[in-house]
Amino acid sequence: MTDAVVPPMPLIRVVRAYFSDAKYESLRLLRTPAFSVPILAMPILFYSFFGIMLAGRAGGGGQLANNLFVGWTVYGVMGPGLFGFGILVAVERNMGLMTFKRALPMPTGSYLAAKLMMAFVFAVVVMALLTIVGITIGHVTLPPMTLVRVAAIMSLGVIPACAVGLFIGAWAPASSAAAIANIVYLGMAFLSGLFFPLSGVMEKIRPIWPTYHLSQLARASAGMKSEGSPLVHLAILAALSAILVLLAARKLARRG
Amino acid sequence: MADDGKWSGDVLARLSGAKKRYGDTVALDGLDLEVRRGELLAVLGPNGAGKTTAIGLLLGLQEPDAGDVELFGRSPHDLAARRGVGVMMQEVALPDALQVRDLVSMTSAYYPDPLSLEETLAQAGVEKLARRPYIKLSGGQKRQAQFALAICGRPQLIFLDEPTTGLDVTARETMWATLRRIVAGGASIVLTTHYIEEAEALADRVVVMAKGRGIAEGTVRDIRDLVVRKRIDCATVLDVAVIEAWPGIITTIREGIRVSITATDAEGVVRRLLDGDPALTDLEVRRAGLSEAFTELTQEAAE
Repeated sequence: MTDAVVPPMPLIRVVRAYFSDAKYESLRLLRTPAFSVPILAMPILFYSFFGIMLAGRAGGGGQLANNLFVGWTVYGVMGPGLFGFGILVAVERNMGLMTFKRALPMPTGSYLAAKLMMAFVFAVVVMALLTIVGITIGHVTLPPMTLVRVAAIMSLGVIPACAVGLFIGAWAPASSAAAIANIVYLGMAFLSGLFFPLSGVMEKIRPIWPTYHLSQLARASAGMKSEGSPLVHLAILAALSAILVLLAARKLARRG
Repeated sequence: MADDGKWSGDVLARLSGAKKRYGDTVALDGLDLEVRRGELLAVLGPNGAGKTTAIGLLLGLQEPDAGDVELFGRSPHDLAARRGVGVMMQEVALPDALQVRDLVSMTSAYYPDPLSLEETLAQAGVEKLARRPYIKLSGGQKRQAQFALAICGRPQLIFLDEPTTGLDVTARETMWATLRRIVAGGASIVLTTHYIEEAEALADRVVVMAKGRGIAEGTVRDIRDLVVRKRIDCATVLDVAVIEAWPGIITTIREGIRVSITATDAEGVVRRLLDGDPALTDLEVRRAGLSEAFTELTQEAAE
């Protein structure tokens, strides 16, 4: 019997543990149709129906098609983070999985890092699908390099989406987290003018929604007319994310 | 414990004077518990005795209201300490879209020197379940998969909270064989169970808990010896009321022609039985099993 009861953990294995958690978090959600189908299919369906069919009937040409495409990418990339954190954290908080994982020597932060990576993976797939649909049947006329830039900027949108989701997941009861996440998701999309232009008060208060800032960033990256400075939008999104994460961490640290 | 992660003490985990209450319920009332190197420690006790809470404290899942908790000489919140630990909890919902082999790979990634996937599956006896999604497993198969997760990291200390609940006989034998092999290899196991025969079959040491305290501790034989009670069965025509009037009688139960007596003075009772009924047959005298010892000890603690 040697006295090395617990061999030291090489850094490379710690890094591998983070990756393995991210891999299995993505894998299990891809294999969970209740999660993956709405997250992947809804943006495509909505975009095809509202963004392409109805807009095509209204007749607006290339500029409108590009506008709609950019608006729907905002919607698409918000989903994985919002639901991945919003529903799953609330449910897992209550079902003993978090307790089991806390008992295991899981690296600190790996639980949340895995969900963040999962949200990125899903967001990239959603972006790719939307782009394919946009180019093939959506009359999108943005050049390829611009599309890549939009995709890169939009994948940053995963971070505020995860922050909003984590906040919901930390505070909402497991039974109502899904409903709350849906209301917040659709509500923010409508109220920030993603789907159709707003007017009056609703237009004036758009800047309170993170989706508004994300969509202005998306427009700027696509070389379209945008409101305000991209740096300000970035700063607001970063600050909002930080506040929501801190509030969530406060709740989760109470081991609730 | 030195910073290189080595621990040479002979006590792998320790609770000293641990107290824990949930609202008005006292879960632990000053429990002292030691897990020594290379032993299989069975923690016995009725529901609500505090067994699961004790394990929760040792894993850092809950904080004691008073007292000390040590795991490999460190705080259980220390990741380095938990890297030496494997765990099978009573109620756990795993990501059920993942296959058993995924769960094993995911869990073993947390440990410095885990078993290979194949070794883990073989030791837990779940090779055939490797590609089955967790959600498709039966209750007993889920326990087997959870057992695989408890051993995959080659831990030096394994906590098993009621591990064989819901297992069929074959699966239970496989698990017992693996537990014996793990202990023979030098690791320690803490097992809570309400199957007395499990403790009798496996344990080097038994701790009996009741009402949040350890009320008895020792080998299986020690625990049985704590209780002088014996059981006497026979077929006799003697009246139960007559037997009950004798000294040293604790209970007397008649079922048809058979009478079951528990008594502290077995020899005296047998003498009186044979004197009172020369036609008495089927006489049998047994030392109380761990089960009876256990019932008596926990009842005494409750009084």
